[in-house]
Amino acid sequence: MSLRILVVDDSRIIRKIIRKTLQLAKIPVDVTFEASNGKEALEILEQNDVHIVFADINMPVMNGLEMINSLWEKGIMENLKVIVISTDGSQNRIEELKAKGVCSYLRKPFTPEVLRKIVLETIGENNGII
Amino acid sequence: MNRNVGIAEMQITTDADDILITYSLGSCVGLSLHDPIAGIGGLIHCMLPLSSKNLEKAKAKPYMFVDTGVTHLLQKLYNAGATRKNLIAYVAGGANIMDVKNMFRIGKRNYTVLRKILWKNNILIAAEDLGGNCPRTMKLEMKTGTTWIRSSGREFNLMGEQKKDIKSIMVEADRETAGGIVNVFTNTSG
Repeated sequence: MSLRILVVDDSRIIRKIIRKTLQLAKIPVDVTFEASNGKEALEILEQNDVHIVFADINMPVMNGLEMINSLWEKGIMENLKVIVISTDGSQNRIEELKAKGVCSYLRKPFTPEVLRKIVLETIGENNGII
Repeated sequence: MNRNVGIAEMQITTDADDILITYSLGSCVGLSLHDPIAGIGGLIHCMLPLSSKNLEKAKAKPYMFVDTGVTHLLQKLYNAGATRKNLIAYVAGGANIMDVKNMFRIGKRNYTVLRKILWKNNILIAAEDLGGNCPRTMKLEMKTGTTWIRSSGREFNLMGEQKKDIKSIMVEADRETAGGIVNVFTNTSG
């Protein structure tokens, strides 16, 4: 079966790159939702079934960390795989995200090939995902 | 049959017995493209990144430059029956050999332009072997579609992400869900 994904980033270009990379990597995607901040993402996640979320950290209105906290509060995070893609690559931040249940971290700027690798690893780790 | 791809040259083939080889990849970049479904492959050896530096030369020897060379190679492959979505791309070269002070960074610039052209043509690089300061030999074995690199006395093949085999993952998942459209992560520990 195909994946349902959500891309959360305030940059339209980054959202486009992520979508194109998944397409070129032949990763079976059924539906792609897009949000430009955490608040929009929460609204989408409350109403839709999503498998993987690609999330930025620094965003206006609601940042990625606040979004992840809200997802735990609402009980949505348990059924999600979150891959964070951000310019903030400090070790502290990575540890913090790991503790919050984020499964992978990718630092910007990234190459599409590295993103493909991370997605394939995420899919491969979970036999039930597709 | 071994077919030599010279510097600033390109070759394509549909013969499964062919092996395309290019030698002396220093700061130059080599790109192998293989369509396993149509059985078509090509190998190019580019010296410089942009044809705008010398348009006359680019016209006479389009494969010398990454921008014109890769575009021509893709066109030749498509004309021969290859399909874009089936193409598997391997890249090698881009070393820093004679430019000791790293002033010109030709290798890096070659690679940057190559990446850009492949992205524009909707092709991801399956695997690559780049940089350093040793020359490389690159070989595309048509029978298996494997690209081999020889450098500093060792030979190895580039194993692409494709080899991780998304298809087998999907088949396994289908088996587990008996073809159903259930999805959920079985492992929710994050």
